[in-house]
Amino acid sequence: MDSVTNKAEQLREKIAQTEKELQNLRRQLNELESPIQNLDVDQGHSSTSTTKQPGEASSPKWKWPLREEEYSRYGRQLILPTVGIKGQLRLKSTAVLIVGAGGLGCPAAAYLAGAGVGTLGVVDGDIVETSNLHRQIAHSTSRVGMMKVDSLVEYCQGLNPNVTYVPHREHLTPQNAEGIVSKYDLVLDCTDHPTSRYLISDICVLLQKPLVSASALRTDGQLIVLNNPAAAQGAANGGPCYRCVFPKPPPADSVVSCGEGGVLGPVVGVMGVLQALEAIKLIAGGIGKAAGSDPKEPVAPSLLLFSATSTTPFRSLRMRSRRPNCFACSAGSTLTLKELGSGSLDYVQFCGVTTPVNVLKPEERISATEYKDILAGKSHKGLLFDVREKEHFDIASIPGAVNVPFSILQRHGRPTVGYLTPEHLSDTIPAEAPIYVVCRVGNDSQIVTRRLKEMGLDGNGERDIRDIKGGMLAWKHEVDRTLPFT
Amino acid sequence: MGAVPKPPEGHFSVLYFASASSFTSKESETLPAPLPLRKLFDTLEEKYNGIRDKILNSCLVTINLNYVDVPEPDDESSQAVIKEGDEVAIIPPVSSG
Repeated sequence: MDSVTNKAEQLREKIAQTEKELQNLRRQLNELESPIQNLDVDQGHSSTSTTKQPGEASSPKWKWPLREEEYSRYGRQLILPTVGIKGQLRLKSTAVLIVGAGGLGCPAAAYLAGAGVGTLGVVDGDIVETSNLHRQIAHSTSRVGMMKVDSLVEYCQGLNPNVTYVPHREHLTPQNAEGIVSKYDLVLDCTDHPTSRYLISDICVLLQKPLVSASALRTDGQLIVLNNPAAAQGAANGGPCYRCVFPKPPPADSVVSCGEGGVLGPVVGVMGVLQALEAIKLIAGGIGKAAGSDPKEPVAPSLLLFSATSTTPFRSLRMRSRRPNCFACSAGSTLTLKELGSGSLDYVQFCGVTTPVNVLKPEERISATEYKDILAGKSHKGLLFDVREKEHFDIASIPGAVNVPFSILQRHGRPTVGYLTPEHLSDTIPAEAPIYVVCRVGNDSQIVTRRLKEMGLDGNGERDIRDIKGGMLAWKHEVDRTLPFT
Repeated sequence: MGAVPKPPEGHFSVLYFASASSFTSKESETLPAPLPLRKLFDTLEEKYNGIRDKILNSCLVTINLNYVDVPEPDDESSQAVIKEGDEVAIIPPVSSG
């Protein structure tokens, strides 16, 4: 008890001291801020005027292009040849749009705000979640549930209040894209899906805005400056667009999000920081001033590949110039602002839609609750294959489950019984013992169940093979609420 | 990905990035050279059933860090050949962030 009262006493003393100090500082500030008034009062008393104009000594006319505070704020970058006063003024007069306030957008926005761009717009319709925080560094634990846009703007505001921040609390759509993007000089694609990547690229081609595009997943990242210079459709001296580099979207069922595939914070951070760097280089150097000396020479940018686990973590690849038959930026392109804005271009359709897998009959499936009852019952429990990747399995699994990662099955392509024996189907298990299959949310488990049957493991109906509906997520909801779901 | 070893005599190396690496469970390997570029996808499809539709059709390909257009398999007019010692990279788009 004594030590507690002691501590409290010490704290009270400290507070009193600090308050005194604060008062002192306020008084000093007041004195500093009111010399003009004092001078005026003095002048009033003396009728004999001097040659000195009121206030001249303390606030001479400011004749420099940046404000006084800006010289100290940007001093470290101002003295670099890459920026210089010219580059800083260009930054100050430039409006940058960041689409996506996530793992890429947070660091990119922070460095652009810090560097002193004039206007920073942020587009995102999502809210901050706890699972974002390991990589989306501008958000915070106390801002979970807040709009990402507002959280990011608040962070940047604290960093540099000189910038004008424009929050767009919505996702970019074909309908709102022109209205939003047209107000900016440069766009950063910090989104997380092929549909938005093609949409952003298309609107940037149509509005002739350069685009700094980056992406990251697991331990890999990609960075490319597109549409630079941002020449009109069909102009040979324009830089390639996203469609020139990736004309065909990946199949929808192969697109993995950070939520499903995982991502390491610094990997996406590196890519976002590099985006800000490319943007600063582009702006300070003068947007529209072609990087190549000969403006007629087609521009071939480079794609930077980052592989965190490689001994060669960075690879720079020389890309192609504009694709002569590009859907968006070629001379023959029929893409127009009107067409895009009308929504007749269906980006979701173009990138493909994933529908929940539904390949099993109801009698080929059981619910999580039914499986719990089997485990508790006296009949043969059979085998449970957990087809999630090993990392998921290692975090939490159903007692008795055997891990057979889906990727291994997928890799074998043609069904082979080989990889399942002898480890997974030991001879001690009777041939009629049922096999159950569980995955994360109940899609892969159906495919595996179907394939096991094709492999003849059901012994022409002798053996029951079923999947658990809704996977581990259903197990969490119906059976074990403590299960950490990843 | 570890340091990519120099391919043995009569071979070229292939690097697999992102989902291509997940699909093949490899970061790199070596294949016999020379190989007409138009045959590249066929060769890989033979080794990895399904890789063409899932990965190759939407990826970009470089040879020795330079972008290449991969011709259709039946395009006899294509003269492009992957030579001994070349480094081919299979780069699928990464779209997350």
